[in-house]
Amino acid sequence: MAVIRDVMPAFELFQPATTDDALALLAKYGSDAWVLAGGLDSFDWLKDRIKRPKVVVDMSQASGLRGIKEVNGGLEIGAMTTLTEVVRHPLVKEHFSLLAEGAELAASPQIRNQGTIGGNVSQDTRCWYYRSGWKCYRAGGNICFADTPTAINREHAILDADRCVAVNPSDSAPALIALDAQMVIRGPGGERVVNAQDYFVGPDINIMRMTVLKPNELLTAIRIPGTWGGAKFYFEKIRDRQVWDFPLVNVAAAMKVSGGKIDQIRIAVNGVAARPLRLTAVESAVIGKPADAATGEMAGKIAIQGAVALRFNAYKIPLLRNLVKRAIGGVQEAAWKS
Amino acid sequence: MAEMKNPEETTKTLSRRDLIKGVIAAGAVSSAGYLFRASGVRAQQPSAAGSVERLVTITVNGQQRRVDVMKQETLATTLRYKLGLTGTKLGCDRAECGACTVLIDDVPHYSCSVLTQSVRARKVVSIEGLASADGKLHPMQQGVVEEQGFQCAFCMSGFIMSAVGFLKVNPKPTRTELAHGISGNLCRCQDYDKILTALLKGAENMRRA
Amino acid sequence: MPTNKVNVPNYRFIGKNYTTPDMVAKVTGKSKYAEDFRAEGMLFCKLLLSPMPHARVKRIDASKALALPGVKGILTADELPPPAAFITDDGVMIPPDPRAERGLTNEPLYQGEPILAVAAVDEETAAAAIELIEIDFERLPFAVDPLVTLSPGGPNTRNEGNVWVVPPPAPPKPGERPAGPLLPDVKEFKWTDAEYAEYKQGKLPVSKPSMEWSYGDIDAGFKKADLVMDETFVTPNTSDQTLETRTAMAYWQNGKLFVHCSTQSTAQTVPAIARWMSMDTTNVVVISEYTGGGFGSKVTSGIILTVPALLSKKVNAPVMLRISREEEHFLGRARPGLHGRMKAGFTKDGRIVALDMFVVCDGGPYGPQGDANASGRIVSLCYTPENMRWRGINVITNTPPRGPQSQPGGAQGVMIMEPLLSNAARKLGLDQVAIRRINAPSGKAGIGPAIKGKRDHVTSAFVPEALDKGAELFRWNERKNQTKKSGTKARGIGVAVSAYSAGSIGFDGLFVIKPDGKIYVQTGIGNLGTEAMIDCQRVVAEVLGVPWERLEITWGSTAKHLPWSCPSGGSQTIHAMTRAAHAVSMDAKLKLQEIAAMDLGGKPEDYEVGGERVYRKGGGAGMSLAQAAQRAIKLGGKYDGHELPPEIAKMTKASATALAGQGLLAVAKDKYKRDGISNSYVAGFAEVEVDLETGTYRITDYVGVADVGTVIHPRAFGGQMFGRTSLGWGHALAQKWVYDQHYGAPLAKRFYQNRPPTILDVPVSNFKWAAVDIPDPETPVGARGIGEPPVGAGASAVLNALADALGEQIYRRAPVTADIILMALETGKPGDEPLTAHI
Repeated sequence: MAVIRDVMPAFELFQPATTDDALALLAKYGSDAWVLAGGLDSFDWLKDRIKRPKVVVDMSQASGLRGIKEVNGGLEIGAMTTLTEVVRHPLVKEHFSLLAEGAELAASPQIRNQGTIGGNVSQDTRCWYYRSGWKCYRAGGNICFADTPTAINREHAILDADRCVAVNPSDSAPALIALDAQMVIRGPGGERVVNAQDYFVGPDINIMRMTVLKPNELLTAIRIPGTWGGAKFYFEKIRDRQVWDFPLVNVAAAMKVSGGKIDQIRIAVNGVAARPLRLTAVESAVIGKPADAATGEMAGKIAIQGAVALRFNAYKIPLLRNLVKRAIGGVQEAAWKS
Repeated sequence: MAEMKNPEETTKTLSRRDLIKGVIAAGAVSSAGYLFRASGVRAQQPSAAGSVERLVTITVNGQQRRVDVMKQETLATTLRYKLGLTGTKLGCDRAECGACTVLIDDVPHYSCSVLTQSVRARKVVSIEGLASADGKLHPMQQGVVEEQGFQCAFCMSGFIMSAVGFLKVNPKPTRTELAHGISGNLCRCQDYDKILTALLKGAENMRRA
Repeated sequence: MPTNKVNVPNYRFIGKNYTTPDMVAKVTGKSKYAEDFRAEGMLFCKLLLSPMPHARVKRIDASKALALPGVKGILTADELPPPAAFITDDGVMIPPDPRAERGLTNEPLYQGEPILAVAAVDEETAAAAIELIEIDFERLPFAVDPLVTLSPGGPNTRNEGNVWVVPPPAPPKPGERPAGPLLPDVKEFKWTDAEYAEYKQGKLPVSKPSMEWSYGDIDAGFKKADLVMDETFVTPNTSDQTLETRTAMAYWQNGKLFVHCSTQSTAQTVPAIARWMSMDTTNVVVISEYTGGGFGSKVTSGIILTVPALLSKKVNAPVMLRISREEEHFLGRARPGLHGRMKAGFTKDGRIVALDMFVVCDGGPYGPQGDANASGRIVSLCYTPENMRWRGINVITNTPPRGPQSQPGGAQGVMIMEPLLSNAARKLGLDQVAIRRINAPSGKAGIGPAIKGKRDHVTSAFVPEALDKGAELFRWNERKNQTKKSGTKARGIGVAVSAYSAGSIGFDGLFVIKPDGKIYVQTGIGNLGTEAMIDCQRVVAEVLGVPWERLEITWGSTAKHLPWSCPSGGSQTIHAMTRAAHAVSMDAKLKLQEIAAMDLGGKPEDYEVGGERVYRKGGGAGMSLAQAAQRAIKLGGKYDGHELPPEIAKMTKASATALAGQGLLAVAKDKYKRDGISNSYVAGFAEVEVDLETGTYRITDYVGVADVGTVIHPRAFGGQMFGRTSLGWGHALAQKWVYDQHYGAPLAKRFYQNRPPTILDVPVSNFKWAAVDIPDPETPVGARGIGEPPVGAGASAVLNALADALGEQIYRRAPVTADIILMALETGKPGDEPLTAHI
């Protein structure tokens, strides 16, 4: 079969009005079905004719999945809430600006106007071998094209790689992990709730999926507890271009500091492994220490323990180290203004 | 042959019955459609909760347009190939250039990455919907003319729609704010300086209007 | 920024801003590009692209595809017309080239090369049909890195070899016309083991070149040198990436082929299509009203348009070929990357006394690229080395075809030379502006090799003036002593000089003054959006003294009787077509004066033209242009176009003949003398701020000063200054190709992977431009083009600023991305694999 791209093949389209209807469709069509949220990740797969679902379940018309509400001092964000809605929401901005920052640095204005928070955390990796339709581990094959002596892997993993060296590209995911968010999942058996850091899976657990979401399940909402509201936040994303590009590395941290000392902290990074990583070793090492440059230096060094460089991504090790350092110790600004 | 026809006119002359007949008859040709016409590879028509009709009504530039839409059809395709609104351009078809930007309920979207089926109940405005019926340019368009913004202009419709959409949220942006607002649009002539000046002029015109 | 101004003599139109007549169509979405046209019964076609970087098609079975309902036909390479001979305008015959690129192929030379096309009632059906085609390939050796194929035992990229060799033209026999250039030949060339060892050390081996030229005495030059530098630099391959892909729609009517396409030259695409299709030019009609970007990649559109043209004939229906963004990566042309090794000798005061330049050009699979040679010519002009040798190899790689991209070759040459020049200034303790000024071209500066002891020279150069003006605008002297490091940030400033050819000669102008008194100007230039196509017509209004609004400009379809015009490419237009506009305006003026003298008495020279009239000098009798147009029709002959000057081009003659009898027809070829080759120049100044902990950086400020002669349309000019500079910034910041060398496969086909600059990547609020405003002495209104030299200046000023901020040991190639900076800061040396292509 010769290969052709850029013509979206026909599929049957459903636009269920409720989550129940959607779940029924997923149950009925099984692996033939594809869930469509904002579509920015999906349309690439479909237009490339690499993924060929018979049925697309478009969640855009389903009720109850969009919007942000206050729950017990925290927030519940419907999975179909757009990134723009997240960024502009007064409660997010006021109490959980970490998420607003991460979401605002994703992609481009139009993508944020359409892309959803649920889609952003559930998106597939952008490994350019895998996205080219090459039959790698992640695509059901038995090779990782990005991890060969001749591979080009500047944007690939330095941590927790297991056969596959792809990375998770989400900008909102580390923010949600730092905020101790919970993912609300609905499936045929009802609702289950998983912690944000457990929502994502590495290749060691499942080499063909990015999240714990099963094919017959839907992410319906994200809950952010009030715990970290108004904490000291740090988000930074490093990318080649200031629009559209996925992170080379990003970092999200929430800290509670009193008397100059770190009382509590949650810190997560992305772009370095197949799932966003919560840096628990860093967290435990810095608690009780002053939130200063020296603690930052130490934290940065801990963050990169175990990091392994591929042919072209050694830079991610100092980059991760420095971003973690800044997240904790702050950035020493230049004296000049430019 | 070779007589150029405006597909928009063709659509208008077709009765709804003709269109429905075109849909029902397998492999029939609806002369309004170019990209998706007689196709041997269509999926079966099922019936289940949430299933969608092929014949839909969408509101484009203030007009209700009845159109036969494939399930996988993007809004850009419908606008360009079914409704003859070719001012919306396809530069990448992958949400990474912005040439296809239109407003959906006043919000800028990449029409290459929106299923037409998902905008049935929503208001779509394309570049053709900005000028008034008597041909008077929208103040944003006027700003671009005044400042000779853009070079090849293939990106222009998308930039203008992004700017008009952004100004609904921030009507008095600084130069930097507007640059961020229209940053989802790529110009390969890279005439960004003149573009930004022109769109700022348009914003000023809009505030005066 | 609106602060930018130009100063020109007392012109009424030239040097003034105005609104071009295509703006309203553009802002309302009514402007039609190739894909916006529809024809009754139009079919769509899709391409089957080679999955392999080099292969031979062994078998094609399309039976299942053809059986699919809605499929109308298939086109394979076997059905293409054979390569045809080409006769140039001055009658030189170029023999058919069996190695030239064609629309489809049975021996794909790169992954993504089109093999066949299927036409169907819609794209979905055509795509489904492509998937039903069975095709067998025989794999052939390949290399996507030019240095891999040059390595001992390395794979050859074509069956016959891996480098282009262009034989010198045979000396003419006595009494005969000189023969045309001979076809380039393919030879096998590999390095010696010693050269390979040098390559492994990260240095580009200076091996046996396939091209070479020089002037002066390079050995003597090096002997004079106080400092000798020897550096290697690698420039990126970058796609032209016009926002409008090269989509085309074609149909046939009464034996004539009509092609809606995207081109930089409406006029010159006709002979190109005629050659590709083996047909007569009179049977080809090109329609291209708006072109969505070209940058050199669409000078005569693209050969892929032959596919819908031939399919349309075969299936007897109009056929549209929409080119996708991914297909554009393959078909859309790209700037060839150059590997350059530069050995330069300097005196203490910074004068370059000897320059030995060696380049390897990554030329893709088709035709030797001119970039290699141009890189040497431009370096010889920009930095005026006293003695210079240039050598190069044009290497064939199994990567998509290259083509011109703004400042082709020149940008790469400047990018290779500038870092070395900056390092030399640091070593010699000289100011960066001063070292460029002492080496800057001025007046009739020399360019390129000495042939029989004599070098070509330019029409004019005022680069010292540009450097002075730029240094002042940028506050160079003040800023060069600023703090370099503070906190986690470092900043640096850089300056670069760039040049490129900026104007051709010898094209035709054509217009008719009709009895309504309006001037109907015809042009065959492509409407690329730089507005040069329109801007050059300002000269008509200026010379004839008519209000601009009285000109009606016709463009965009060769069915509309267009003259032979230059392409809107290579910065030719403003120079070439202001000359043609001037020539044809003078023709009109003379005809008006003659008609007035005939009717009103006296001699033609007693009459003046202006205010939409021809009138006796000092007042008195006269007639309106409308009346003169009516008289011209009555007079016939040369006045209304029934007699034409012999020297105008064939296309112009045919167009003028068609327009004859409608009014006063003015037609002329530009025969103005020119002493020298027209070049334009830019001095660029950049400031960058680098984040030392992430390796990211921003361009915080930029000043570009151009030496381009008279500026015709300041706003359009400013657009080009920013846009082309920004193209250069892209080369410094992030733009590149990425290939997996083992599979010969492109990995960065998408914008988010190959990274053209966004509006937030460029200093969109901190950019100043200026012009030196000295008219070129060798052309009537003194104007030259600006589309090229900003590129090299933009890229190199940023690279130099980075080195100023961080030191020399940061980069050996471009683009300089965060990873390169961060690793250099970590390790204290430039990155590994300095010579590997496409990483």
